[in-house]
Amino acid sequence: MSAGLPVRDGTGQRYFEDVRPGQPIEPVPYPLTVYRLVMAAGGNRDFNSIHHNGDYARSTGAPDMYASTAFLLGTWERAVRDWIGNAGTIRSIRGFRMRQFNLVGDTTRVLGHVASAELRDGVGVVVLELRSENSKGLTVGPGQVEVTLPVRDAVTAGSPADSEEQTVNER
Amino acid sequence: MGEPDPTDWRSDWDAMVAAVGRDFGDGTVVYGADPVTVSDIRRFLEPLEFDCPLHYDRDAAAQAGLPGVTLPYTAVMSWSIPPMWSPGDPPLFDDDSRDAQPARSPINNTDPGPGPKTTGFFATELEMDFVRPVTVGERIGRRGRKLLACVPKETSVGRGAFLTFESEMVTGTGEVVARMRSVAFAYVPRPAGGWDGGAA
Repeated sequence: MSAGLPVRDGTGQRYFEDVRPGQPIEPVPYPLTVYRLVMAAGGNRDFNSIHHNGDYARSTGAPDMYASTAFLLGTWERAVRDWIGNAGTIRSIRGFRMRQFNLVGDTTRVLGHVASAELRDGVGVVVLELRSENSKGLTVGPGQVEVTLPVRDAVTAGSPADSEEQTVNER
Repeated sequence: MGEPDPTDWRSDWDAMVAAVGRDFGDGTVVYGADPVTVSDIRRFLEPLEFDCPLHYDRDAAAQAGLPGVTLPYTAVMSWSIPPMWSPGDPPLFDDDSRDAQPARSPINNTDPGPGPKTTGFFATELEMDFVRPVTVGERIGRRGRKLLACVPKETSVGRGAFLTFESEMVTGTGEVVARMRSVAFAYVPRPAGGWDGGAA
């Protein structure tokens, strides 16, 4: 195990036993250009002009056009999916609070770490704490994403690696 | 407490505050424009550079125990958005000024309930619970629009209210696949010269 970012097995799948509270997830940068925001509007169907028209956005009191909720949710999901692999599932998102505009001409980065890990009825349940930041600081969150990870040995596994307790760092 | 002050913009929201607890959706399901397709998922993934084979590779989805290629969880919101225009509808674009807005939009605050008319609107907070992934071929709709809170507030962009609504995301059979609570700020943008025209 590296000192910083956690690793996956040879198939690319992360397992519950590999997870420890405090582990960071891989940060994902999203440079926000007009081009990207236009593509995002076409893809997620949030055509509100505040997300692709700077003049219009300014007329509503914003400094410039800014990323939509649908796009920002997607940035969190991609960061989480990159970490949980194909066998992971996402159960919920909490605290997805948009505190500042994620403006065009800046880079929004999604960062996070493992907040807790718990085995419930043989299912590895992990809560990730995520946030988004740009050059102005915190823009979204911090929020909690509850995910599940597969357990290597569902019969014998009982707790996260190197942990004596089944529930670690409960929220 | 005396009579509401009609010059106080907050009093414009009194009826909306009184409507907290009401379901503006009356139980009907408002469906998204189209069923989920692989090509539409691709358009969602592209700007995110979101590379997960569950969302484009049927074999990978089957290996993960899924009945088909799945929609990203958070995309249920997008697939529940009704069409902008359908055959037979009146024109959407009837004004050629540069920043003219379409005559109708399913995502702006077009159904403000008893609240005042506002022109600014953006989401500020979301909570989502996912019951199961949605697969290609399914159609998604939104059921219910229960007002949980209405908090009038003046912010840096204008005067309005933070509105919290709760909805269910359902399939064509009515099965719930996700639940969502969203907070949005509906507001009148601050005039360039200030509320008093810059006289103060």
